[in-house]
Amino acid sequence: MSPLAAVRKFVGRWGLIVALAALPIYYGVRDLVHGYEAGFVAGHPVVHHDLTQLGFNFATGLSNGAIWALIAIGYTLVYGIIELINFAHGDVFMIGSFTAVGLYTVFGLTSAGTVGIVLGLLATLVITMIVCGVLNTLIERVAYRPLRNAPKLAPLITAVGFSFILQNVGLLWRGGSPQSVPDLINQGKTVFHIFGVPIVRGYLLALGVMIPLVLVLGRFISATRMGRAMRATAQDPEAARLMGINVNQTISLTFLLGGALAGAAGLVYALFETNVWYFQGFKAGLFAFTAAVMGGIGNVSGAVLGGLIIGVIQALADSRMGPQWTEAVVFGYLIMIMVLRPRGLLGEETREAG
Amino acid sequence: MSATAASPPVGTAMHVDHVAKAFGGLVAVDDVSLDIPRHTIVSLIGPNGAGKTTLFNMLTGLYKPTSGRILFGERDITRTRPDIITKLGVARTFQNIRLFGAMTALENVIVGRHARMRTGVFGAIFRPPWVRREEREVQERARELLKFVGLREGNFDRLAAQLPYGDQRRVEIARALASEPSLLLLDEPTAGMNPYESDALSQFMRRMRDELNLTILLIEHDMKVVMGVSERVTVLDHGHKIAEGPPAEVRADPAVVEAYLGKQG
Amino acid sequence: MSDLDEKNEPTTRSVTVTEGEHDASDWAEFRAQMREWREGVERRLPPWWSRALAATLLLIGIVLPFLFSADSGFLNATIIAVAYAVMSLGLNIVVGFAGLLDLGYVAFYALGAYSWGWFASGFFFKAHVHVLVSPVASTLPGIHLNVLLVLAAAALICAVAGMLIGLPTLRLRGDYIAIVTLAFGEIIATLAVNGTSISLGGGMTLTAGNLGISGVDSPYFPGIGVFNELNLRPWYWLIFGIMLLVLFVNLRLRDSRLGRAWVALREDEVAAVSMGIPLVRTKLMAYSIGAAFGGMAGAFFGTYFTVVNASQFQFGFSIFILGMVIIGGLGSIWGAVAGGLLLGYINYYLIPDVLNSLPSKLGLNFQLTEIEFGIYGFLLVIMMLLRPQGLIPERRRRLEMTGRVAAADSELGEPSAITTLDLAE
Repeated sequence: MSPLAAVRKFVGRWGLIVALAALPIYYGVRDLVHGYEAGFVAGHPVVHHDLTQLGFNFATGLSNGAIWALIAIGYTLVYGIIELINFAHGDVFMIGSFTAVGLYTVFGLTSAGTVGIVLGLLATLVITMIVCGVLNTLIERVAYRPLRNAPKLAPLITAVGFSFILQNVGLLWRGGSPQSVPDLINQGKTVFHIFGVPIVRGYLLALGVMIPLVLVLGRFISATRMGRAMRATAQDPEAARLMGINVNQTISLTFLLGGALAGAAGLVYALFETNVWYFQGFKAGLFAFTAAVMGGIGNVSGAVLGGLIIGVIQALADSRMGPQWTEAVVFGYLIMIMVLRPRGLLGEETREAG
Repeated sequence: MSATAASPPVGTAMHVDHVAKAFGGLVAVDDVSLDIPRHTIVSLIGPNGAGKTTLFNMLTGLYKPTSGRILFGERDITRTRPDIITKLGVARTFQNIRLFGAMTALENVIVGRHARMRTGVFGAIFRPPWVRREEREVQERARELLKFVGLREGNFDRLAAQLPYGDQRRVEIARALASEPSLLLLDEPTAGMNPYESDALSQFMRRMRDELNLTILLIEHDMKVVMGVSERVTVLDHGHKIAEGPPAEVRADPAVVEAYLGKQG
Repeated sequence: MSDLDEKNEPTTRSVTVTEGEHDASDWAEFRAQMREWREGVERRLPPWWSRALAATLLLIGIVLPFLFSADSGFLNATIIAVAYAVMSLGLNIVVGFAGLLDLGYVAFYALGAYSWGWFASGFFFKAHVHVLVSPVASTLPGIHLNVLLVLAAAALICAVAGMLIGLPTLRLRGDYIAIVTLAFGEIIATLAVNGTSISLGGGMTLTAGNLGISGVDSPYFPGIGVFNELNLRPWYWLIFGIMLLVLFVNLRLRDSRLGRAWVALREDEVAAVSMGIPLVRTKLMAYSIGAAFGGMAGAFFGTYFTVVNASQFQFGFSIFILGMVIIGGLGSIWGAVAGGLLLGYINYYLIPDVLNSLPSKLGLNFQLTEIEFGIYGFLLVIMMLLRPQGLIPERRRRLEMTGRVAAADSELGEPSAITTLDLAE
C-alpha cells in the first residue's frame, strides 16, 4: 500500500479518536507542567500542578453529557428507524424543561419538605416524560408520517417548521430571556470528593437519572417483543411488515420513547442548570445530534457514549477557552466526524464509499 | 495479484486481471480475469448473485476492486473515477432503468453527452458563438441518437418518467451512446421484453457493433439472446468464473449446467 | 420494434400527487379541472405572451420608485424584499438545482455583509485605501472601495467560502449535508460574535461583534453622488439591478450544460456520474455560485442597514431563505423570486405594519410580531403537506404534474419502470 494510502487509512480509523483525546490530554499536560491557579492565599494565587481541575472538568462534563445522552438517544432511535433527523427533538426537550418547571408550582415543590420534594419530583418526572413522549408522537403523526414517501427534504422542512412552532410556544410561555428557576435540590451542594474533585448533587442527579433510564431502555429493546419489532423495523421496514409487525405503531413507539427520554432530560436540565430558556432546545438539539453521530447513528450505546464525550468537550471548552467558543468547538468536532469517520465511533461501515 | 504487469493482447478493449471485490465479510467477486476483444459482443451470464453487476460496477468505476487490476486499452483504470472512465470511452446502462425522470428523453440523451462538451461556467453565462454552436450540435446529435434507437419523434420531449418501458430502455441506450463510447456495457437490456423485442434488440446490438465500431459487453439472462448474439460467453457463479468460450461450447459445459440447475442427483 | 409504438398512445388520466392520509379523489378532481382551465387559457394566449409579461414586469420594476415617495415605508420593504429575492435565487442554485440541503446559508449573508464592513468603512483604520469613492470618503481612514468593487469582492470571498464549506459534504447523504452546513453557519456566526477578540494587528480586530461595524459607506457612483437614507430610490435601483444580473445568470445557467449536470446529480447521482459528470467539481460549482449571490445580497444589506452587527446572523435566517425557495418552488427560478418577494413583504411590511395589532383586536394579548416565528413554522409545515412543489413549480416538475401517465406497454401490460415522481427524488 502506498504511504499516502496508509496515512489515509490510519487517519480514517484513528483520526477522530486522536482529535478527541487531544483536548483533555493537552489541558491535562498543561495543568501538570504549567500549573493552574486555584484560589488565593494571602493575596497570592495558589498554583496547582495536578489533574484535579481536569477531573473537575470531567465531572461537570459527564453530568452535562448525561443530559445530552438522553436527548441523543431520541435522535438516534428515530434516525435508525426512519432515517430522518427529527429536527424538533431539541425543542421537545425544551418543552420538557418548561413543563417540569410549571409542575414545580402545581405540586408546590418550592415550599415542600425533603420527602415532598422527592415524591413531587418523581411525579414531575413521570408526567414530563409522558407529555414529551406524546408530543413527539404527535409530531410524527402530523409532520412525518404523511411524508414518508416524499424525498428527505420534505420531512426535514416540516421538522424545522415544528421546531419553530415549539420555540414560539416557549417564547410566549416564558418570554425571550433565560429565566432562572428554583434550585429545588440544592444542586451545588458537595456530597463527597473523588481524588480531590468535589462531586455535587447535580452530578449525581444527572447520572442517577440517566443510567437507570438507559438500562431500562436497553432491556426493553433487547428483551421485549416491541423492542424486537423496533430493531427489525430499523433493519428492514419492508421485511418487518411482511413478518406481521405493525410498522406504524412501532415507529410511533420509537418517537414516544425518544420523547420521554427528552422529557426526562428536560427535568434534569432544569434542576441542574436552574435556568430555562425558550432557545435552549436549539443548542441542545445540535449538541445532542453531534453526540448521536459521534457515537454512531442508530446505535443507542453510541448515543450515550457520544453524549458523555460531547459533555466533556463542552466542559473543557467552557472552562478553558471560554463559553463563547464552545459552540464553535463542538461543531468543529461535528465536521471532523463527518470528514474522518461518518459512521461514528461505534457504528458499522454502512455503505461503499464508491 | 499478478506481480508482473503482463500487457493485454493487442486488440483487447478491456482486460480484467484477477479482480476481486469483498464487502466486509461478503465476497461478491473472487479472482475473476477476462479479456474483452474489440468489436465483439460478449455476454456475461450466471445465476443470480453471481457477481455480474458487481463486476460491471467495478469496470465503470463505481466500486473499487479489493484486489486486481482493470485495464482499458493500455490504461489502468482500477482506481479511476467513474466520470473519467466514461470520458475514456466506457458507457453503460443499468439493470433497473436509471433515467433522469424529471428530464425529457431528449434532455437525458443530451446529459449523456456531458463528457464530450466543453462549455463551462463562463461559456454558459456569456454564450459566445462557439457555445451556441455546441448546444445546437448536441441537440442535433441527441435527436439523431434517439432516431437511431427507434424512438418516435413525438416522444422526444416527453418526460422520461412517462415513457413506456420499452421506450425508456431505448432512451437509456441512446444516452449511453451519446458519450461516444468504444465499449458499451448493457446490464440486462432485454429484461421485460417479449421475444420480438428481444430479437430486435439483438439485431440492434449487431448494428451498433458494426456501424458505431463498438465493443459490447452485456449481462443477460435470456439464453436465446445470449446464444444468438454473442461471440463469446463468460459464466460467473458465486463470484468465480467457471467457463468461457463460444456460446455453443459454454452451453454444453457441465459446470455451467450444474451452476444453473444445481447438482444433479 | 417500431410498429409497436403506435399502440403506446397515452390515455387521458391525470396524475395525483400523494396527499397523505385523507381521501384525495375529490381534491384531485378539482385540481385536474383547475389544471385544464389553466392550460386552456394558455393555449388561447398568443405565443409571445410570456415575453410580453416579462417586459411588463420589468417596466413596472423600473418605474416602481416613482409611484411612491422617496422615503416611503413600502419602498423600504420592497428594497429588502428584492434583496431577499437575490438571496433566494442564490440558495435555489444549491438546494433547488443541485439538490444539496444547505442549512447554513446565513454564513454568506455574514461574509457578504462583512465584506462591506471591511472594504467600505473606517473599520480597518490603519489602512488608507481609496478606490473610486466619494470625495468625502477619500479623506477618511480605512479601506474604501467603490460599490461595484466591494460587491465583486463579496462575491469572490463567498465563492471561495462556499467551496470550502461544500468540500466536507461531498460524500455525505442529504440530511447529513444539512447538519454540516448548519454547523458551518453556526461557526461563522460564532466567529462574527467573537471577532472582537481576534486581533489583526495594529489594534484592529476581525469584526466588531455585537456592537457592530457602524458608519459603513453608502454606495457612490461618480455623477450620481452618495446614496443617503432620505432618498430610497437609488438604493432600489441598485438592488433591482443586482437582481436582474443574478436572474440573468441563473436563467443562462439553468439551460446550460452545467445546469443540466446539476439536475442530473440531483435526480440520480450514480447515473449522473456514470454519464461522465464530475461529482466534486459540479457540486462545488453549485455551492460556490449560490454563495456568491448570497454574498452580493449580504453586502447590499450591509450598506443598506448601515451597520454590520453579529446579531444579524442567526440560524433562523438560513431557514427564512430556505422557506422562500421552498414556498416559491424548489428549483424554479421565478419561484425563488416570488418566494423572496412574498416572504420579504410579509416579514417587513405585512406583519409589522399592517397586521401587527390583529391579535389584540381579537382579544389576545400579544402582537403579531411575537408569533412571527411560529407562523413561519406553520407555513413551512402546511406547504410541505399540501403543495410541496411550491407556488411556481419548476418547469420540469410542472410538466410532469400536468402530463399524463402513459398506458402500459401494450404487449406485456407492464407499467412504466419509473412511476411519476412528485418531488423527483
